[in-house]
Amino acid sequence: MPWPALVRVRGRSMLPTYRDGDVLLVLRGIRPRPGRAAVVRLPPDAGGHPRPLAVKRVTGPDPAAPQRWWIDSDNAAEGVTSFDVGSLADHDILAVVVGSAWRPLR
Amino acid sequence: MLSLFHITDVSAHCDLPCGVYDPAQARIEAESIKAIIAKVADNPDPDFRTRAILIKEQRSELVKHHLWVLWTDYFKPPHFEKYPELHTLVNEATKLAGASGTKGELDAAKADELLAKIDEIARIFAETKKA
Repeated sequence: MPWPALVRVRGRSMLPTYRDGDVLLVLRGIRPRPGRAAVVRLPPDAGGHPRPLAVKRVTGPDPAAPQRWWIDSDNAAEGVTSFDVGSLADHDILAVVVGSAWRPLR
Repeated sequence: MLSLFHITDVSAHCDLPCGVYDPAQARIEAESIKAIIAKVADNPDPDFRTRAILIKEQRSELVKHHLWVLWTDYFKPPHFEKYPELHTLVNEATKLAGASGTKGELDAAKADELLAKIDEIARIFAETKKA
């Protein structure tokens, strides 16, 4: 049974789709959907430090390992992607983004 | 962790620049601009001068780039509140690296002015690091 959660975007790597401060409704407990954004767990950085939970787009299966997921940022100029960290396992795709729940007023 | 009753922050950052900011990058480019100006003054060879000017313009663009990255990515609203002169400083410094400054001219005094502005930004940067 899927269950919903709220997350807030921090940073610019999902521009133009999601802006810093956007609150997204996400669903846990469902399979990753190619083409949809997702909350993902990234591998630790080069110094061995854990990375924060991230929002990325799941573009599709990893061509070299079809059971894994290729992730990308929407903003080509920024963001950690599978080009940097490789593809992710199923269990590292924690939730699928349903849509924007709220955008800061300004 | 993820729930409807608590909004979890999720990162949309790149991690190479995160935390790796230093006005020294802009300073090194500005120093090479100054050195190029000195070399051009001592060398009448037109080919050398053309090449030097080309490189000087590229380095001037890099100064602007590095300062803009600090301005947009490193400095945060509380910094601008505490150092209200920061916007003007970045504007003046990047202007000094532009067509009316080191990019367009061969004036060592402009390069010195640029270095001085970068140092002012570096001083504020160092203070924000201490906090």
